[in-house]
Amino acid sequence: MVLPPNVSEADFNAALNEFRSAAGAPWVFTSDEDVALYRDSYSIYWGEPEERVASAAVAPAKVEEVQQVVRTANKYRIPLYPISTGRNLTYGGSAPTMRGSVVLDLKRMNRILEVDEKRAFALVEPGVSYFDLHHYIRDRNLKLMIDVPDPGWGSPVGNSLDHGAGYLTSHFRDHFGSHCGMEVVTPEGDLIRTGMGALPNSETWQEFRYGAGPYIDGIFTQSNFGVVTKMGFWLMPMPETYLTGTVTVPRYRDFEALIEEVSYFEDLSLIGMPGYGSPIGGGLLGAPSPALTALMQNGWPSIDALESFVTAQNKPAWSADLNFYGPEETVRANWQAAKRRFAKAIPGAAFQDGELLPLPIPKEQEATQGDKPRLGIPALEVFTITSRNPMTNSDPADGHADFFAYVPRKASAVWDAARVMYETYREMGVPPMHGPFSTPINYYSRCFIMATLVPTYRNAAKNARSRELFAKIMDRCAEHGWGCYRTSPAFQDRLMSKYSFNSNALLRFHQKIKDGIDPNGIISPGRYGIWPANMRGKRA
Amino acid sequence: MVDRRSVLKIGAAGMAGALVGMPAPLLAAVPADRRTLLRGAVFTDRFHESLAFADELQASRVATFTAGYDIAELWYRDGLRHLAPLAGLTDRVTLFCLEELARTAGLRVFYRVDHLIDERGNAEHNAAGPRSVMDAARKIPTSAFGREMALLASRFQLSDPPHTAPVKRTGPFAPQDKIALVSC
Repeated sequence: MVLPPNVSEADFNAALNEFRSAAGAPWVFTSDEDVALYRDSYSIYWGEPEERVASAAVAPAKVEEVQQVVRTANKYRIPLYPISTGRNLTYGGSAPTMRGSVVLDLKRMNRILEVDEKRAFALVEPGVSYFDLHHYIRDRNLKLMIDVPDPGWGSPVGNSLDHGAGYLTSHFRDHFGSHCGMEVVTPEGDLIRTGMGALPNSETWQEFRYGAGPYIDGIFTQSNFGVVTKMGFWLMPMPETYLTGTVTVPRYRDFEALIEEVSYFEDLSLIGMPGYGSPIGGGLLGAPSPALTALMQNGWPSIDALESFVTAQNKPAWSADLNFYGPEETVRANWQAAKRRFAKAIPGAAFQDGELLPLPIPKEQEATQGDKPRLGIPALEVFTITSRNPMTNSDPADGHADFFAYVPRKASAVWDAARVMYETYREMGVPPMHGPFSTPINYYSRCFIMATLVPTYRNAAKNARSRELFAKIMDRCAEHGWGCYRTSPAFQDRLMSKYSFNSNALLRFHQKIKDGIDPNGIISPGRYGIWPANMRGKRA
Repeated sequence: MVDRRSVLKIGAAGMAGALVGMPAPLLAAVPADRRTLLRGAVFTDRFHESLAFADELQASRVATFTAGYDIAELWYRDGLRHLAPLAGLTDRVTLFCLEELARTAGLRVFYRVDHLIDERGNAEHNAAGPRSVMDAARKIPTSAFGREMALLASRFQLSDPPHTAPVKRTGPFAPQDKIALVSC
């Protein structure tokens, strides 16, 4: 058994007994085989002394039980690590930030407290998954669509608190950005409600975010300042139809104009998340063509060389899939407007009309939809798709650590980031995942993500190499001003050290908040670099 | 929601209850040596050994389900989460997803055998779990092992103490140059 740092076995056992009184004996997990279920499936430290493993887990069912657990943790200085569904794979999963913490598993707090169809909001507990919420809405024929991440097995609460995102229009796919109102158990076991929830009998807790006074919701994201026990979300009214269309552009340099025109529709909230691609190939999980590999023999080609290459391939250089939601009249009109603008801005732009789908999708047809996340349908197909990609070579990875660099929404930034990542991989002797035709992801509408997936293994030597690669990519991107928005505990200290403006003023501010509201340092010590005072400078 | 321990007990009691409650002709149709505590089994219809596994368990009246493209369909639409104890012979990604989902339902993987099949159809087996499984796994043939895995699953005793070795043993990815199946 792993003990929490600086906690005696006697105190730990006493705390466990109090956890049992709070949550019920069957819901305190201490056996090796039970605690093993909370290991991070994608850990980049699997089996090594640095692997973040829990000492135990406790699964309360009610807010009052969470408060009791937190008070007990304070009494005995037991570090707690709250999880919702615990499936935040590539970012730590169900394993704690600090080895030896007790996982506070909120899976039993799985009530959908309210869904208001006309006012288009939901209030849920942390154990509610996207599947649960989708089934609830679908089975009651409510005219609402939820925004889901992919895979969809996480929880709206957990995903939004880690800045996750989805696929619909910009209002909804920023999951924290579409929340409204929270209930939080503080590190000392008190209970607060934010925004209008602080007004007893409020009728607008899930409709007006700010209440009065400082708006504090953000401090509970990617932090260790409390345990969120309820959260409200604004939902998209079910559109009448869904229409797709694809635009392709002929030249390498057309990428800039393509981005500008797509962004126009994005910023007007007329489309869902656009899908950028390149018919020339070389996407994130696709191997480059032999012709492209040959072109890259002498290093990163010039723009003129790439233009000649594109001409020789006789394929468009770039594409963008656009997704429209709304009444049939408006989606058709918006697609027509998009075609008009693209044709004017980019000579040679070509278009492919997609399918018009009436919504909602009937339950019996959900399984056959090709792009479920864009229809608000949670799915796990991404695992089947990605299990057959170049990572599955003769020596397959067991998981991956994702690095998402945030770059400006312009072609030159995409090309610069792709080149830097390409060169970093080459320096490390690892086949690059990027090339001149790499395309960005647009989860957050106002900027681009250049993503890379670093493999993780059940093998210490291979993981050491992966950690070195990941750290180097993080360092290089930070040098160029491309921050990463989310990472696993293995890299959170390093990540936050990059946000160093004014001698790490931001981290020092986080630490002041931590010292004030969690003096015993019991909630998720070390999460995103925020260590309690008694652990700073000497990591447990 | 029921707790982990009672799910297993209910699984066993439910099956025993079902056996007791079955009409005599139907019960008689299940030979004594085929009766099992299993309530459900998952197979992949792309692989011959997996089909053989399913056939063997269907003869014991175990409900079998094919793992399709979206594993969520199995868990939610087909109700797999309510059918413990479960066995399976599938690809890695199916078990990976089911294992992650299982924790929320209070279930875990008790044993696991990885089968790597080369281009000549010869399988190498790698087992993890209780002693009874490790001993049985040594006798698994290198080919035509689907039926053997079904028999092992049928006879597996939940009274064996659980093990950490089978837990999260691999990720979802499989080697491209071999067929990787996993039974549990």
